[in-house]
Amino acid sequence: MTLKIDRKIFSDSCISTVVYWFSSRYAIQRSIQGTIETLTIDGVQDEKQFLLEFYQKLNDYKLRNQIDEETKYIKTILYAKAFGEFDELTEEEILE
Amino acid sequence: MRKYALLPFNFITILNHEILINELGDFIITPIGTVQKILSHSISDEDLYKTLVSNFFVTEEILPSLLDIYASRLRTKKGFLDDKTSLHIFVLTLRCNQNCIYCQASSQEETSKHCSMSLEDMTASVQMMFHSPSPNLTMEFQGGEPSLEIDLIRHGIETAEEINKEKNRKLTYVLCTNCRKLSDDMLELCKQYNILISTSLDGPSYIHNKNRGREDSYEKTIAGINKARAVLGNEFVSALMTTSELALDYPKEIVDEYVSDGFNGIFLRALNPYGLAAQNEDWKRYNQRFISFYKTAVDYIIEINKHGIFFREEYASIILRKMLTPYTTGFVDLQSPAGTINSVIVYNYDGYVYASDESRMLAEIHDYSFRLGKVTDKYEDVFCGSVAKRMGKIWANEALAGCSSCPIKVYCGADPVRHHSTQGDMYGFRPTSLVCEKNKAIIEYLFSLIVERGDEVLPIFRRWVK
Ligand code: SF4
Repeated sequence: MTLKIDRKIFSDSCISTVVYWFSSRYAIQRSIQGTIETLTIDGVQDEKQFLLEFYQKLNDYKLRNQIDEETKYIKTILYAKAFGEFDELTEEEILE
Repeated sequence: MRKYALLPFNFITILNHEILINELGDFIITPIGTVQKILSHSISDEDLYKTLVSNFFVTEEILPSLLDIYASRLRTKKGFLDDKTSLHIFVLTLRCNQNCIYCQASSQEETSKHCSMSLEDMTASVQMMFHSPSPNLTMEFQGGEPSLEIDLIRHGIETAEEINKEKNRKLTYVLCTNCRKLSDDMLELCKQYNILISTSLDGPSYIHNKNRGREDSYEKTIAGINKARAVLGNEFVSALMTTSELALDYPKEIVDEYVSDGFNGIFLRALNPYGLAAQNEDWKRYNQRFISFYKTAVDYIIEINKHGIFFREEYASIILRKMLTPYTTGFVDLQSPAGTINSVIVYNYDGYVYASDESRMLAEIHDYSFRLGKVTDKYEDVFCGSVAKRMGKIWANEALAGCSSCPIKVYCGADPVRHHSTQGDMYGFRPTSLVCEKNKAIIEYLFSLIVERGDEVLPIFRRWVK
């Protein structure tokens, strides 16, 4: 089966993540023209079920990407505050 | 439209609920559609909004004043890194007095020669252990059957005690024994140094004896447990089970056995498919059956607890501790960065140091990928050598394909050795990873219990993690 997805709606990273998780069950080829990405999927038995699952994952990863995008700076600050001093240690100090 | 900024979190949908999980592993169960509402700033439920703010999911300030607290809690969650390598496994010998059908240690006959650690290597291993900066050092003696090498154990402990007069670490000793022939001398040594006994008990006699390849194994193990308890006290004796194919059909009977033997918990442990990738289809089936077995057993354990008996499942307790408390666990299989080298190291009978217990088992099938060096090498060359550096690039699930966007990664871990062993690639491919499938199923199952039967299971779970 083939599936056309608009990259303006779902980003490359979002589609790639979903394709990654489906790749154990299906062979998926990707091609892109303009903003439309075409997925050619081999091995689908139940199309309805496949689409349900595929779009549910796409939507979930889109939300996750949005959260990541909005929180990336605060996350960097948070991790720097939590573990920053490790960067200042020399290899000898780490081994002490 | 409310004004707030998001803090990092992820979510998973379970039983028609969205479970929001933050970087600390704290979670909130919310109705479907909540994430969308958070993103579009249209939360109308006042209580939910307050919960989101107070639990570090959203913030009303650009830089939340409580960020330092959040950072220090995050640091606590990775506290095992501060502790450094604390579990030091000493594989004393391959000699054994049992014939376990799934033996992953490639054990040899009791009378075999040239498969035990030399006294010199034991001394060098103990010296290397003290180079680890950890304030707590656990020496765990494994085999084969380590109690066959009592002189080696005594030498290892005496060497450690001597060095420790200057180093002042907290030393703990563990003897992993099948309890088949626990001699009076061995128990006296255990008493003298407070050695904890960890034995193997697979369930009732019809399972244990079959797994262990001897008709009297169950009887001998139970007798050994009772003898050890009489000398050392109940709290010094624990047991571990391994879920063989046969065991998969008897979840309740195995739990009953542990309860009637006076244990207050059980670790439902799956078989490790080391070096057996060739029979992958069988392992897939085993993994799925194990997951059903696990769920049935945990359901049954919850029922037992409801009757006023404290009895916990240890794997669930480790995960629940990550979900329900601010603390970390010392369990190496569910750590990121991985527990290998960071928390555990193995000194093998062959005079080499390996990254984990599984790594030395791979060496028995001539796979030396995780051999770090010799026990006589310099500590830095072993713990920070080329193998360690290679593993270091892929041992954090926060930076692995599949895991990095996984909503439950904070409860899970990275396992480069397992992925190397089962998939031929340390990095691992999560969609076909058995360890991923198992951890995901168990974590989601625990969440589903909390969503569906929270009032009933949470008081029990809280007791398990105390
Ligand atoms: S192994 Fe699987 S369950 Fe664990 S963090 Fe990675 S993707 Fe998630």
